[in-house]
Amino acid sequence: MARNIVIVFLASILFFCFSSISICNATSSIFNPVSFEHRSAALELFSATDGSFTSLEETYEALRTFQILGVEKKAEISPVACPLVVETLTSPSSNPEKLFNALRVQQILKCGVDADLFEGVASKLEAVIKDASSLLDFYHSVGSLVLIKNEVPESNIVLGDADSTFHSIKALSQSDGRWRYGYSGAESSTYAAGLALEALAGVVSLASSELDESMIVTVKNDIRKLFDSLEKYDDGSFYFDEKVVDTAEHQNALSTTSSVVRGITSFSAVTPGKIDIPGDKILGLAKFFLGIEVPGTAKDLFNQIDSLACLENNRVSIPLIISLPAIVLSLSRKDLLKVQVKTVLGSDAPPVTVKLVQAYKTSAKETPVLENQELKFDPKSSIHHLDLLPLGIDIGNYIFVFRVLLQDPGQKQIYATGGQTHIPVYVTGFITVDSAEIAVLDNDLGSIETKKELDLSKENILSLSANHLQKLRLSFQLTSPLGHLFKPHQVFLKLRHVTEVEHIFVVGNSGKRFEIILDFLGLVEKFYYLSGRYEMQLTVGDSAMENSFIRGLGQVELDLPEAPEKATRPPPQPVDPYTRYGPKEEIMHIFRAPEKRPPQELSLIFLGLTVVPFLLFLVGLLRLGVNLKNFPTSAIPATFAFLFHAGLGAVLSLYLLFWLKLDLFTTLKALGFLGVFLFFVGHRTLSHLASTAAKLKAA
Amino acid sequence: MAKLSSSSSTTSDAKALFQTLRSAYSATPINLKIIDLYVIFAILTALIQVVYMALVGSFPFNSFLSGVLSCVGTAVLAVCLRIQVNKENKEFKDLPPERAFADFVLCNLVLHLVIMNFLG
Amino acid sequence: MANFSIFFFTSILLLPLLCQSFSTANPTDKRILVLLDDLAIKSSHSIFFKSLQQRGFKLDFKLADDPKISLHRYGQYLYDGLILFSPSINKFGGSFDLASVLEFVDSGHDLILAADSSASDLIREIANECGADFDEDSSAMVIDHTSYAVSNSEGDHTLIASDDFINSNVILGSKMIEAPVLFKGIGHTLNPVNSQVLKVLSASSSAYSANPETKFTSPPSLTGSRISLVSVVQARNNARILISGSLDLFSNRLFRSGVQMAGSLTKYPKSGNEQFATELSKWVFHERGHLKAVNVRHNKVGETDEPAMYRINDDLEYFVEIYEWSGTSWEPYVSDDVQVQFYMMSPYVLKTISADQKGLYYTSFKVPDVYGVFQFKVEYHRLGYTSLNLAKQIPVRPFRHNEYERFLTAAFPYYGSSFSTMAGFFVFTIIYLYNK
Repeated sequence: MARNIVIVFLASILFFCFSSISICNATSSIFNPVSFEHRSAALELFSATDGSFTSLEETYEALRTFQILGVEKKAEISPVACPLVVETLTSPSSNPEKLFNALRVQQILKCGVDADLFEGVASKLEAVIKDASSLLDFYHSVGSLVLIKNEVPESNIVLGDADSTFHSIKALSQSDGRWRYGYSGAESSTYAAGLALEALAGVVSLASSELDESMIVTVKNDIRKLFDSLEKYDDGSFYFDEKVVDTAEHQNALSTTSSVVRGITSFSAVTPGKIDIPGDKILGLAKFFLGIEVPGTAKDLFNQIDSLACLENNRVSIPLIISLPAIVLSLSRKDLLKVQVKTVLGSDAPPVTVKLVQAYKTSAKETPVLENQELKFDPKSSIHHLDLLPLGIDIGNYIFVFRVLLQDPGQKQIYATGGQTHIPVYVTGFITVDSAEIAVLDNDLGSIETKKELDLSKENILSLSANHLQKLRLSFQLTSPLGHLFKPHQVFLKLRHVTEVEHIFVVGNSGKRFEIILDFLGLVEKFYYLSGRYEMQLTVGDSAMENSFIRGLGQVELDLPEAPEKATRPPPQPVDPYTRYGPKEEIMHIFRAPEKRPPQELSLIFLGLTVVPFLLFLVGLLRLGVNLKNFPTSAIPATFAFLFHAGLGAVLSLYLLFWLKLDLFTTLKALGFLGVFLFFVGHRTLSHLASTAAKLKAA
Repeated sequence: MAKLSSSSSTTSDAKALFQTLRSAYSATPINLKIIDLYVIFAILTALIQVVYMALVGSFPFNSFLSGVLSCVGTAVLAVCLRIQVNKENKEFKDLPPERAFADFVLCNLVLHLVIMNFLG
Repeated sequence: MANFSIFFFTSILLLPLLCQSFSTANPTDKRILVLLDDLAIKSSHSIFFKSLQQRGFKLDFKLADDPKISLHRYGQYLYDGLILFSPSINKFGGSFDLASVLEFVDSGHDLILAADSSASDLIREIANECGADFDEDSSAMVIDHTSYAVSNSEGDHTLIASDDFINSNVILGSKMIEAPVLFKGIGHTLNPVNSQVLKVLSASSSAYSANPETKFTSPPSLTGSRISLVSVVQARNNARILISGSLDLFSNRLFRSGVQMAGSLTKYPKSGNEQFATELSKWVFHERGHLKAVNVRHNKVGETDEPAMYRINDDLEYFVEIYEWSGTSWEPYVSDDVQVQFYMMSPYVLKTISADQKGLYYTSFKVPDVYGVFQFKVEYHRLGYTSLNLAKQIPVRPFRHNEYERFLTAAFPYYGSSFSTMAGFFVFTIIYLYNK
């Protein structure tokens, strides 16, 4: 059992290596020509407030993109742009760059400009060209002259000394095919090469006489050398790129490649003979532009569309793009295999035949399923199609290898069709699932304790139970639409415990029959000794299946032995974040209950009772027959006696006041005064009383 | 008949005892009787308070202590006064009764101050 | 010379002002460093970048291996936020490395990290440190055979459509995202013990992470809705991190694309990606859900200044103001679940405090009859919001000896007896002295 697994593992590694290598070599991505998405992107990216853009250059980019994509916006832009164009052309301080941009806008908008204005500008430009020393000056001035010549065909604008101009521009070239921007100490770039080629093409078209043939050949060599620095992506597209020096001013791969494409297409348009660039490379460049799909910035969109327009009709070779509107074909919907061959801008290609050279499953490259099928052409929709159903193609992931053949062999030099194009195609269909059953088996003998049928087209709510000495067996059969064995990518059985601990098993197969046996005796430790209810879920899915499903099978009540001390704990399960955050329950403090008070009436009764002894005291005193005979009779002692008792009364009243509202300190202060007074008075009274008593005794 | 006579003798003995006590008591000077009456009054008040506390519980305890202490304290001071003023006590022969009274008044005043503070 | 020294000193005095200018007073980051491994991403993800720039952020685009990138100069950070859209970078240029990225986040700055199937070990490690564990299998992608996006150009079910969003208006905005979000990339799981990391977009229960071209015999380690496609981390220092397993999720192509989920007949003309990415970026850069609590005060009912100490059974009032940063200004934050605790070892009182429309929260309650040193604690932790942890200490004393109740009816007999004793004493003095 283990050895089988190792073999399968190694085989899958080998498959992986092969498939990855194959992908590296095959040109297997899909490129679609320009579509309506580019139009809507153009409208979005080149949106200007009331028809004006920030500069003439941007205006030109917008106009050119709209022109190529067929968007009518001239009426909006003209009123704002034309006055600017005229102003630039008339102003004497305009440099060649400004004139160039203005003329480019003029070429599209055709504002009303006098012919003599053009004459004036042309003569200025000729002067500039004579003294020009930088590539950009050459480019702008030569380009402007070409545009003026196109505007006013009657005028005889020629370059006086085309040869020397050609030489001067050529002098800036480098041995690796790149061009420098200036004569002394300027940096070189591939982008500059594109500009230079355009300028050279302009010189050739403006020349009054034939230029030196050898110079043209040298430039063609330069172009060949330039193509040595062509870089390649895995999907078969070619591009030019520059080393990043400064991110802000860096010309990205798109603008560099567009510059070169513009250069070589314009150069090849004016020179006789062919430029020796293989059609595959041109096709690769076209794929690069198309591979970007819809760019995100206005400048990128302009570069892409402008380059594709240059490639659409160029004299080197015109790329033809093969594309599939849909690479997912459904057997159940009886989809046809549809292929389109178009130019880069989406126009119709010349008459071609599309052949399906080979079709093989990605998992079995050596055994092609189809070979040498020719697709039928429908002229109304210009689509080549093939019906796959009668050919016996089953569902799966395929690589279809196409070849485009021109019906007119003479056009081979004009068009670039590329060799074999590998395109991944997914054929999907419905898988039949049947004979699904689940059983609980008793130990090694395999005697069945419970067995239940399953209907995997809907959710099941079975209820099984098993203990650790038993096994669970799930089995079912999967058949492809054509009745063959089908092994989906994903066949999982998941058991989930009530505590959210999950275990996943891959269901293996032998032929069409898929079966998994869970031997709980060996799984006890894997299940962390957790007994209880487990939910069962079966997931079957594949990219070729149209009816991938995830179905609940029901529950199984597992009885596992107790976990020993050293057993691993189940991993912590994620906490629902919504319960983690949230307001807590309110807490009110429960105050200590105050003491139970007696009812008011009881207190009042006892208040009365406490006063009673005082009354009894008074009554008792009266019964005893007390008198006040000993009160001093003479005035002064009487006063003192009176004062003494008054003082006592005052102290007691002070105490009452203290209890009611005073604090201790005021009381003590008052008490101090009263005490001194009382002492004095009392002393006098008592000494008087004592002397009276002594007198009585003596007598 | 003998039982009756014994019980009647005990009662008559008690009665006789009581009579002797009464006559002896009536011989005490009147100022001492006044003091005795005062003491009885204070103790009675204290008893009533204790009964109240037994009924309703000791909340507020400070008031209870205050009330009881005022009665008991003043009773104790009155007893001291009686001892000091009683002419038959040989130890206090030299102490003038006025002096004892002055002490009594002072101590009572202090006692009542404390009681008022603690009464709450 | 003297002029120079004066100038020097005044400029030093101004330094703290400069340091304060990007502090918590103004929490929205404004300068963001965007690291790309291919400058084409600047163009292919331009809608996302433009939406950031329109909200006032200054984006600085650099290649990830540019030797001139640096996060700080002379000890001060040059940027307030970092976007890493460079999944395949093996080594950053300049002085940038894993430690400096983590230090950046630890100092309270935000990070957006996007990976895809070409994610390098460095990117995986950064995500791991932030709490998200990508699938260890470097060739694995998230595949879902029941929840994929129906497409004519993709057939291997790696472009999946998910509508399993986190239920939070703070993180995803108040407007519901109608269309599912398209995703193509790698999945990750979150450590269940980590309480700061949240799954914003989860995969469906039939999803799994594996290499689409090879068969496997042992089950993959990432399956089901445990796979998180996009997660966020709200760190304790309120730095926010967004980790996405798909860089394509932010691309113009998926922003503009329509969506039809497998098995459903509804065709949405525009995917939810743009709304999802924009709203998430608003949350990550603190334009939503960033709270501050100021002006905590408390006083006894009826007074206005804060006492140094409370007495048991006092009635007190508690005020706090909570504001939320809206991207441009502090707006009052009104919610009905802010709670204050009166806490000493355990909360004695826990009350929900209510707010008026200006963000002023008020409550009043009675001080418990336990004395000690208490704290007014406001611990506000809500999904997606920065956490508020306020604590203000206040001692509580018992009754003073003269603060107890007086003149109780129950004590009347005692009062009566005391005064009756006093009266008896007074009468006694008179009678005793003058009796013959």
